[in-house]
Amino acid sequence: MKKNLILKNFFIYFSALIVFLIMFFPLYGLILTSLQPENIIRSRNLSFFPTEIIFTHFAEVLKPNHISNIYEGIKNSLIVSFLTSFLCIILAFPAAYSLARLNLPAKNIILGTLISIYFLPTILFVIPLFVILVSYQLDDTILSLVVPYTAFTLPFVIWILKSFIDKLPVEVEEAAKIDGCSTLQLLIHIIFPLLRPGLIAAFIFAFILSWVEFLTPLIFTNNLKISTVALGLFRSTIDIKIGQQAAAAIITLIPVTILMIFFQQYITKVVLSGSDK
Amino acid sequence: MTDLLNQSSNSQFKFSREKILAFTLILPSLILVFITYLYPAIFTFVISFAEYDIIRLKIKKFIQFKNFEFLISNYFFTSSVLRTIYFGFLICVCTTILSFLIALLLNEKFIGKAFLRVMIVLPWAVPSVVSGVLWGQMFHADTGFLNALLYQLGVISGYKIWLADPLVALHVIAIAEIWKAIPFMTLFFLSGLQSLPSEVFEAAAVDGANVFQRFSNILFPLMLPIAIPLFLIQFVLAMKSFDTIFVLTRGGPGGGTTTLNYFIYQEAFETFNLGRASAAAYVLLIITLAVVLIPTISRFLIKFFWGNK
Repeated sequence: MKKNLILKNFFIYFSALIVFLIMFFPLYGLILTSLQPENIIRSRNLSFFPTEIIFTHFAEVLKPNHISNIYEGIKNSLIVSFLTSFLCIILAFPAAYSLARLNLPAKNIILGTLISIYFLPTILFVIPLFVILVSYQLDDTILSLVVPYTAFTLPFVIWILKSFIDKLPVEVEEAAKIDGCSTLQLLIHIIFPLLRPGLIAAFIFAFILSWVEFLTPLIFTNNLKISTVALGLFRSTIDIKIGQQAAAAIITLIPVTILMIFFQQYITKVVLSGSDK
Repeated sequence: MTDLLNQSSNSQFKFSREKILAFTLILPSLILVFITYLYPAIFTFVISFAEYDIIRLKIKKFIQFKNFEFLISNYFFTSSVLRTIYFGFLICVCTTILSFLIALLLNEKFIGKAFLRVMIVLPWAVPSVVSGVLWGQMFHADTGFLNALLYQLGVISGYKIWLADPLVALHVIAIAEIWKAIPFMTLFFLSGLQSLPSEVFEAAAVDGANVFQRFSNILFPLMLPIAIPLFLIQFVLAMKSFDTIFVLTRGGPGGGTTTLNYFIYQEAFETFNLGRASAAAYVLLIITLAVVLIPTISRFLIKFFWGNK
């Protein structure tokens, strides 16, 4: 029996190591490339450990006139992602409450439609939106990104918030109603504070989904007047300097990685809250 | 009597007031969704039967089913449809199996589990452009780790240009997509595993069922209701993938990595043939719906003919 346990443990740690290598090695390779001089990257001596660490690739990428235009990209992506997450929550919070608690007719059909829209091919909606934006000369603006992002993310955010509201105890709301609290007051003063974990989770999801979006900015900013980080990074791939490309990729990655590591528990909560139905 | 009437009309009134409130709260969301989804979907449907003038932004003329006829007789289109289905299927099969195995691992107790979980979830937040760059560098002909590794192990005699071969390139893209898709599915499987009653497994172990029996007779059937929706969702998402293809191969070489989604992009925004692109977008929509609906319908038919067991 004891021998069995040792064998089992050995098997667990061995597979944990394999999984770690598979999932992390690609990222490690990227970090390695971003820190090594170009001649070492291009040499045929394979080495999985850095022989010489330099930061010149990062310095080059961060220069104002670099092809990836990283400052503008980060600035725009931050604005767009914040606006999108903010708008999503403002729109989704009352909608989720209505779906979770109020006597809304055809509730399941509305929720089902919203969620299934999320899985339809994005390109179906992008073609006419492009035509509309161009005809009103709204392409290449922050607005042309925030509105579609918000719409693309909204169903998901509504679903997250609804499953969090479902978990709140109804008694609190009933007590407040007996005390003469209007629905609006109830939403702002009672549900909103109680829902904080759900709101944080929803905000992070919306933020990450906007940060990584690529197809929409690619098409809607076709005159290259504004750029996002994802687009800037893509432009740097036209260049052949591999080290700088890796450095730009890592800079793009930093904000979302920080969010992921610090708020991992919230993201796990979303999955857990959705699964027990 | 009047009292009763009053009461009922009062509750009727309250009832409809709550309905109005419920609608008001959800209305802004519905309006936004309507503007950005429903109206465009109708627009796409209309111009899929037309020739669209991209310069004047007007419908030139209606040509009935010409766009669809062109697509069906176009070899690039039909091959990209088949490729999309293969690509989607490959990704969701691999992702489901790998995610399930990783979830089983994470369901065990071991030191460093929390750390491993963060590492596993991380690729989800990696922008697909970054993952494109990352896998592009991994498979790079001159500087990629794969070439160096295989060369030094003596598996290959010279450096290979991986992305120059259409079939290899398609699978490289699939690897990148699978790597990005694993985190989320793993989390869902893990939460499914944690909700299973542990007594069943203990009872089975006492009864002398070995690991494989426990897996195939208990775990597998219990996890199937969770696995099937995840599998379908992944199928649909994989058929939507665009970014990795755009960054890694731009649909090439020789159209060998052009999936339907990429084909639509090229028709719409490279050759500016919006009518044809819209028709192709509707074909993609129909395939997507088929993937989701076929299992549902077949389950319904099985229930209908073989009774509810």
